[in-house]
Amino acid sequence: MNWTQFLFRLIEPVVPPRFVIKRLLLLIPVLFGVASVVFAILHLAPGDPAIIIAGQRASAEQLEQIRVELGLRRPLWEQYLSFLWDAARFDFGQSYSISRGNSVRSVISDRLPITLELAIYGQAAGILLGLPLGIISAVKQDSLTDHVTRIGALTGISVPIFWSGPLLILLFSTYLDVFPTSGRIASTLFLPDTWTLFGRELPLTGMITVDTILLGNTEAFLSAAHHLFLPAVVIGVYSTALISRMMRSSMLEVIRQDYIRTARAKGQGAKITLMKHGFRNALIPVVTVIGIQFGTLLGGAVLTETVFGINGMGLTIVTAIGVSDYPVVQGTVLTFALLFTLVNLFVDVTYSYLDPRIQQ
Amino acid sequence: MTQRGEPPRLRQYVAARARLVGSGLVVGLLLGGLGMAGWTLYTGDARSSEATVFALGALVFGFGLLGWSGSILAGRGIEAMQEHMDTRSNWTERDSRRAMARLCGSGGGIMIGTSVVAALL
Amino acid sequence: MSTDTETRGTLGRLRASPFLADLLTNRLAVVGLTIIFSMAAVAIYARVTYDLGALASSQLGTEVADRSPPGWLGSAAANQQLFGTDAAARDIYKRCLYGAWLALKFGTITVGLSTTVGVGLGIIAAYYGDVTDNVIMRTMDVLLAFPPLLLALALVAIFPRDLGLWRAVVALVLVYTPRFARVVRGAALKVLEDEYVDATVALGATDPRVLIRHILPNTLAPITVQSTLNFGLAIIDLAALSFLGFGAQAGTPSWGLMLSRGVENGLLTGEWWLSFFPGLFLAITVLGFNLLGDGMRDALDPRMREAVD
Repeated sequence: MNWTQFLFRLIEPVVPPRFVIKRLLLLIPVLFGVASVVFAILHLAPGDPAIIIAGQRASAEQLEQIRVELGLRRPLWEQYLSFLWDAARFDFGQSYSISRGNSVRSVISDRLPITLELAIYGQAAGILLGLPLGIISAVKQDSLTDHVTRIGALTGISVPIFWSGPLLILLFSTYLDVFPTSGRIASTLFLPDTWTLFGRELPLTGMITVDTILLGNTEAFLSAAHHLFLPAVVIGVYSTALISRMMRSSMLEVIRQDYIRTARAKGQGAKITLMKHGFRNALIPVVTVIGIQFGTLLGGAVLTETVFGINGMGLTIVTAIGVSDYPVVQGTVLTFALLFTLVNLFVDVTYSYLDPRIQQ
Repeated sequence: MTQRGEPPRLRQYVAARARLVGSGLVVGLLLGGLGMAGWTLYTGDARSSEATVFALGALVFGFGLLGWSGSILAGRGIEAMQEHMDTRSNWTERDSRRAMARLCGSGGGIMIGTSVVAALL
Repeated sequence: MSTDTETRGTLGRLRASPFLADLLTNRLAVVGLTIIFSMAAVAIYARVTYDLGALASSQLGTEVADRSPPGWLGSAAANQQLFGTDAAARDIYKRCLYGAWLALKFGTITVGLSTTVGVGLGIIAAYYGDVTDNVIMRTMDVLLAFPPLLLALALVAIFPRDLGLWRAVVALVLVYTPRFARVVRGAALKVLEDEYVDATVALGATDPRVLIRHILPNTLAPITVQSTLNFGLAIIDLAALSFLGFGAQAGTPSWGLMLSRGVENGLLTGEWWLSFFPGLFLAITVLGFNLLGDGMRDALDPRMREAVD
């Protein structure tokens, strides 16, 4: 199979829709499962929600009133069922403290795109750089390139994001002043809430680089990209290192297998053999692991957002846990879980493209 | 032929699953009821022990549900990863699903058992 | 009879296997080992020499200036601190050295606990099989499916705040245990296939005896590799939790906490030494463990070293 065929395979609808629908239906038990676990955490966690809302000095009557309002005086099974029902509608009520008075849903819809954007750029950089680096490293095993790549990758996963981030800020922002220290766009720029397509007003995505393109505002786009560059680099280095390490080991395993040797013995050029047989087979395990690694990336986003002061889901969850803003914790945890599941679903489908044997 | 064969097969299908979840449920009911009663005797506060034991039940139930759907969703990925990581394990999606269905049942049982005892107390 | 086979089984295997020789010819692994030993020496030195209370409390108001740059940089003779001082006028050099003690101590506790629990669960799962195996391993699988740092954050939220760094330790033990359980179960299954285990059981050995004297020693190699690789992770994750405010208590000279203070106080004003040195120590230590772990894995798995051409 050559490259054009490979590309055709990608476009061809080889995955039956039933397969995808079945997988999507599984999101329902995932949602209820996470909601149950979150419910358990809320009731096992120390701290009384009534005190968090009303403050330490509230009187006993005030606290009791809040408890009744929150439904904490109803039987547990009733609380549990209404909690599940709320989770199913994605309704977690209002934030206790970090965004007081706003619904958790609006907090999440504000902040999710910010994290998604960061994660997408980080993952894209990781895949685009990590795969080739891993392949080169495997093909030229024990060469200088291999050693440099391996040590680089090892350093990449050893350097914590919360150190490389501050150092980059210090160097490029504080001293050289070529990148901004924080924020998502220059403070002098303001974006409208909607954009127009064929005369119709549509809401923006919340991903600032996408929005500025949709609005056709070049200056704003450049400013947004400028702001996003350092955080994306920090997160990208980490995922590049991870992916190149996985690709190297997976590729080595494939190269060692007999059919590659046979193909080579038959006189085919080493590079062609590699591309023809090696890459696709080596990619299969890497693709599955990329899905699972997306979780690590989300963890990285938590740290990156904290370092760069980006107000996304990661910073939100950290602040919310810190001040015991439980509705926000619930909402963010559930969103993270669904996101993680969706990415793995996507990976699952990609996987069946690569290895059609697997489809049931 | 197939039509006559179908009803018993459906019954078997349901019965096998019911037995799996049911066995967990019974264990859970006992655990929940005893846990609730014991915890209340220990702390002397029925409301807080109901919250604790019920929450533990919800934890087990949610964990099981996640595991159940997770093993279907990511079963292949896990199998590939285990093979790749060179850990010998005869992990199968089926075993995983069954174990998780049991956990789900017992989690549900704990919640029901706790609620029943709490209502009686 | 069994004592004889054992000596040959464990010690003999270790000596005969090219594992140690391989490891020592692996230059990167030796570098890693050197880093770890130096860090351990630094840690013990700091633990013996410095007083934790003095390092943790604010030095504001003494003759030492706060936020003064490293001694070899500033022209002012006012300070002699090698790495400068932080916002509370504490000596960053001493705090970094003491941080090594904290990192290695809590790293050892975290990895030690998760190894013990994981090894126990893994061996039991492999030996008893069937329902026991399924319940243990499937639970481990679900835990393993969660993104590590996010799971640790969720767990940290459950534990009472006054546990301090222990809250992070317990959360991470729960996060790491499944990995050990899985690796050990795999290795134990391989041992169980050997006939001599059957033979010892036939000779009347009891379950605990078989588990401890026959299976455990033979799973030591994969356990060691996993522990080493996890040590680096544990140190980073502990620091990350401290950085996010869910680990060490304020004032503690832990690298993660120092970094978080450095980001808070020195990022915009360019006081780079506040975050540079603690992070450097952290990164070097973690790199040491990763180098060693990688080297060990290569030495254990000869297939990985086999040249392609």
